Amino acid sequence: MDMILLLELALNGVFVGLMYALLSAGIVLIYKTSGIANLAQGALAMMGAYTVVVLANSFGLSMWVAIPLALAVMFAFGVALERVALRRMIGQPVIMVIMLTIGLEIFLRGVIPGFFGAAVKRLDLGISNAPIFVGELLLNRAILIGGGVSLGLILLSILFFNSRFGIIMRAVSDNQTASWSVGIRVERAIAVAWGLSACMATTSGVLWGATQGVDWSLSLLLIKALAIAILGGLDSIVGVLIAGIIVGLAESLATGILDPIVGGGTRDVVASAIILLTLLFRPHGLFGREHIERV
Amino acid sequence: MSLTRRNILTGAAVAALASQLPLRVALAQGGDKVVRIAMPMDFTKVYTFVTAEYNQGQRDYITMMNQRGGMGGYTIAVDISDHANDQPRAIEAYERAKSQGAVLVDPLSTPVARALTPRALEDKLNMVTAFSGRSDAADGTVFPYVFPLSPNYWTQAGLLIEYFKQQDGGSLDGKTICFVHIDTPFGKEPLPVLEALAAKEGFKLQAFPYTPPGNDQSAIWPQVRRARPDWTMFWGAGVGQTVALTEAARNGLDMGRVCSSVWLSESDMDVVGRDQTVGVLKFEPCVSGREPKVIQDILTEVVGAGKGAGPEDKVGTSYYNYGVMLAALMLEGVRRAAEIAPDGPVTGEWLNAGLNSITEFTAEGLIPPTTITPEDHQGGGMGRVARWNGEVFEPMTDWFSANQDVVWDEVRKYSSEFAKTGQ
Repeated sequence: MDMILLLELALNGVFVGLMYALLSAGIVLIYKTSGIANLAQGALAMMGAYTVVVLANSFGLSMWVAIPLALAVMFAFGVALERVALRRMIGQPVIMVIMLTIGLEIFLRGVIPGFFGAAVKRLDLGISNAPIFVGELLLNRAILIGGGVSLGLILLSILFFNSRFGIIMRAVSDNQTASWSVGIRVERAIAVAWGLSACMATTSGVLWGATQGVDWSLSLLLIKALAIAILGGLDSIVGVLIAGIIVGLAESLATGILDPIVGGGTRDVVASAIILLTLLFRPHGLFGREHIERV
Repeated sequence: MSLTRRNILTGAAVAALASQLPLRVALAQGGDKVVRIAMPMDFTKVYTFVTAEYNQGQRDYITMMNQRGGMGGYTIAVDISDHANDQPRAIEAYERAKSQGAVLVDPLSTPVARALTPRALEDKLNMVTAFSGRSDAADGTVFPYVFPLSPNYWTQAGLLIEYFKQQDGGSLDGKTICFVHIDTPFGKEPLPVLEALAAKEGFKLQAFPYTPPGNDQSAIWPQVRRARPDWTMFWGAGVGQTVALTEAARNGLDMGRVCSSVWLSESDMDVVGRDQTVGVLKFEPCVSGREPKVIQDILTEVVGAGKGAGPEDKVGTSYYNYGVMLAALMLEGVRRAAEIAPDGPVTGEWLNAGLNSITEFTAEGLIPPTTITPEDHQGGGMGRVARWNGEVFEPMTDWFSANQDVVWDEVRKYSSEFAKTGQ
């Protein structure tokens, strides 16, 4: 076995995992505040990247203007989504709310490429394709930067949950009725969580869009994000960070080690296997809280 | 009308229903001497990277020929609909086309073409499967109503290997060729021919499949680089191609030794960056750009007259020209059929005779000389290798065909299997 290759795959896998983890952090953010697993997070990433491309191409804006504008648009979209769709589901069974997010995922995946074109679009962040060599080891510049930005944003999220508003969100997550009773505006906290989650999805969409181009396939990131969120624990941002690294590493090494043996296709199997095994043997994930209901 | 929730919901429901109806554009209406062609294609799901430009080229060419009086006195009517790469929808579109008297159908989708093949053979309805469908459909004796009309994937692979050999001084002995492909039947299709050629020419073949649709290949290309390939072929479509090219560049591969099938276009270069991929090679089945006379004529007679089927800046792109190429071949088949039996009747068999008698057709220099016979529905398997120079694909060779003995061994092997088992 080529050790340099394994080391290279491992390093790139870690950074790819961090990029996946950023999308997962959005799922965790919503789950922590409202107890809902948002299965439209992949489509939100796709929509955010499309928004950047449309703003840049149609209005001639530079990327560095288009991206903040897209973040603002997507924040508003996330808040509006909570206000128009999610809030109406209060009191409905959780399964109905999850179905709603699946419906949203399918709807956005169809409508956005339908309106703005299904062909792959360029999203240029100015990252050079020239490889970085450390001795014989090649580091993928786009993934290195993407992973670094994702790591920074996830760490910021951890800090955010220790801020005043973050504590409010955690209180809402723990007990909505008690939060109401002490004067916390629960609906507003949940709406802000949806807005922030849409911003995280947009950032993730932009980073992946710069790596692969922008088209409907960005929504497929959902599977990886879900695997990470489930493995790390749906209510743990720290868990997302660790699980992201584990999933990225496992996928990358599986491609290098198992693909030549079984003839390919192991990359996506890894994510699916992680979801299945975690749910079977540790349903609350590595760092998630185990919920015990008193009878 | 006020903007109430009820109105919004009603509007959304109507829009949703309308989206399910076929998008039908008829380029000719009525008349006694009409040849009806159906183009149910994937405009909205998987083949979106090619369909719009390909179909635009087809429609522009057909508009031009209808304006010139049709083919052999026959006007061409085209029905276009969206099957979204969904087989039930495609079968529905096919049956509708059949009931409306279509004598040719072009679904531009491998899974759809495969699903429709038994029906087309039974109904004697000609089906064009250019750059899609079954490679063994080149065997017209087994697939009399299926017409690839273009070099199949085996031919493309065989021709590229011959080009590599010419570039490396006439021998590939001891060389390493990496084949990076999408892990689907389409991506795996060239493998039998590549394996046969590896045994014949003495090169080492290393295959690297990636998971569809190919949006993350970050763990694949470091392995390709470490294999130190002399040549690399990448075989996918849409996002898989742009990601492959990007990763090849990021891994520092020599672009002049990286090569694709037909599925690489100017639009892909725009995504990756036109200057990032200078030198990359592709198989070219027809001339790209606006130089060919037929493209110039379209610009003057159709686009200039405001009758173009799509954006003017797409005229002359690779995929647009593929569309013109196939429309020209289909209509040449109509012209030949009208020569053989001027008064019809217009049936699948009538057009079949015309398609099977296309001889040395070049569409005024757009395509290599193409001859279709009842035995060879591929048309000779000629193409050329083109190189991206940062602005356009420039030809690196003349039209040629190569390794057709190996290709036809595979064609006959699989077509005889189909004849026996229907699979």
